[in-house]
Amino acid sequence: METRPIMTNAIEVKNLTKYYPATGSGQAFLAVDKINFTVEKGEIFGFLGPNGAGKSTTQRMLTSLLTPSEGQIRILGHDLAHDAYPAKGQIGLVPEESNVYTELTAWDNLMFTGRLYRMSKDDRNARAEELLKIFGLWEKKDVKAENFSKGMRRRLSIAMAIIHKPALLFLDEPTPGLDAQSARAIQKIIRQLSKEGTTVFITTHQIEEANQLCDRVAIINQGKIAVIDTPEKLKQTFQQVQSVEIAFTGTPEGIKEKLTALPEVSSVIKIGDKWRLYNDAPPILLPHLVKFAEEENLSILSLNTLAPSLEDVFLQITGQEVGTIKVPPKPNKKRRKGGKR
Amino acid sequence: MKNFSRISDEFAQAWTVTLKDIKVYYLRPGMIMFGFLMPFFMFFSFSVRREMAAGEGMSRLLALTIFFTAAAAGPFIIPTERRMGTYDRLLAAPMSLITLLLGKIAVGAFFAIAVAAVASFVGIVFLNGTVAQPALMVLGIIMGAFTFSAMGLIFGSIPTSNPGDVQMPSTLIRWVLLFISGVFIPLADMSPVARAVSYISPLTYAQDLMNHAVLGMGELNLWLDIIVLFVSGILFLLPSIKLHKRGRVLGY
Repeated sequence: METRPIMTNAIEVKNLTKYYPATGSGQAFLAVDKINFTVEKGEIFGFLGPNGAGKSTTQRMLTSLLTPSEGQIRILGHDLAHDAYPAKGQIGLVPEESNVYTELTAWDNLMFTGRLYRMSKDDRNARAEELLKIFGLWEKKDVKAENFSKGMRRRLSIAMAIIHKPALLFLDEPTPGLDAQSARAIQKIIRQLSKEGTTVFITTHQIEEANQLCDRVAIINQGKIAVIDTPEKLKQTFQQVQSVEIAFTGTPEGIKEKLTALPEVSSVIKIGDKWRLYNDAPPILLPHLVKFAEEENLSILSLNTLAPSLEDVFLQITGQEVGTIKVPPKPNKKRRKGGKR
Repeated sequence: MKNFSRISDEFAQAWTVTLKDIKVYYLRPGMIMFGFLMPFFMFFSFSVRREMAAGEGMSRLLALTIFFTAAAAGPFIIPTERRMGTYDRLLAAPMSLITLLLGKIAVGAFFAIAVAAVASFVGIVFLNGTVAQPALMVLGIIMGAFTFSAMGLIFGSIPTSNPGDVQMPSTLIRWVLLFISGVFIPLADMSPVARAVSYISPLTYAQDLMNHAVLGMGELNLWLDIIVLFVSGILFLLPSIKLHKRGRVLGY
């Protein structure tokens, strides 16, 4: 009788590389550069990075939608290059765009997916009912998805991805563009799935979401993994990154340059009506800020010192604000699905 | 036993894909326009004021509808699914690429068979056509539908998410094949050069098979027609598989 080794990793990636060949007028492009990481079973793993960093390309390789140029992927113990079939049966995939069939009802969408994963009729009926109730779509089960809101389609898309109770769920940008209620509902479901033993791999540039949800995060930048750790440990590592957040009554011309010129300030970004000043020593900076406000005839509306956040870690590593686009050379004149290049 | 179970699963999955596509795409304007109305428009615009026996007209109408309709599905459905992101759901599912392609081929084939049934009705009722060998006609319709659906799938497999990128070349090539394949100009009336060119088109053999079935006679050997259609259907799968693999390298 064959014995299988005890497997604790849901995902094992070794030297994974994706090189898009030159096509037509497009240049060749290295999207993912020899990355290595593992994801343990039952973990919620966040894959963070700015747009174009290689997140979606990596996820597409992990779900066998894209052929790697080099390297090895093992999903739940199966080598994806040679033994994809059993791995694919245990994977659920929620892409960035909710890929539901809008011409079908919510019920028919789930039935189709259940059949595709060879579930018995009784199992898929029971599971579809359970999921539609969990996702708040039971009353709409006979409504075509074309009449659904974006949040409802997103929930249906997730329900379709988990109807067969996958051991590993991939979510690409699960909540951006959703109303707060839908986003919270989806985050609650992700936590519940993790509690039930599902490994969750989330690709996102929503730092706060990763901070709240993930057991560990990897930050990928320009095709390479810069760091992997728990959100808390990452924040401790970057403890020297502190910031002061201040709001004034007005916004005089050249204020950003003037704030950047203050002592101990390394960089300044505007967040809503507030200015965030990164610095090593807030106590030294505070008197300078008060003096600056007096000189500029500005009143201070609020002033806070902030401990480093995951967003600060991200900023330090990638050199980019969250969600900004750093456009690499385009491999092809047409947009590829592999990322937002 | 395990292999049998896997094969049975794969067939069931192909059928699942086919049923879903029938529900989702058959009533789409693109399918109705390119798959249903166009072959009839083409036939009637060509036939008006031409001397043609009823059986001959019916045979041509059948070959034309099977060819045009079956080959219309792939170039429309797959790029549309790529654009909507739903194709990823199919590619990520636990089934082989050939299973997926067979499911897609059946979508176009069943559509063509349904439209051919309408064409047969039009031929018998309105053109007063008679069918010499009904069973052969049914076999020809089924074989032609699957073969030309497999041909259409080649265009659908081109790595793009824009149906427009595929519709244009696929329509152009279908038009060219129509003119060289004895549909509008019978093989017997062609010059030797044109006739030699027509032999490279599988539509030539489908038209000849329809002539055998409806008129009771054809220019070529009946078995040659059947074998060429069968082999073409299988060979058409190869470029589709290759293009899908290319798509996975390029990121479509």
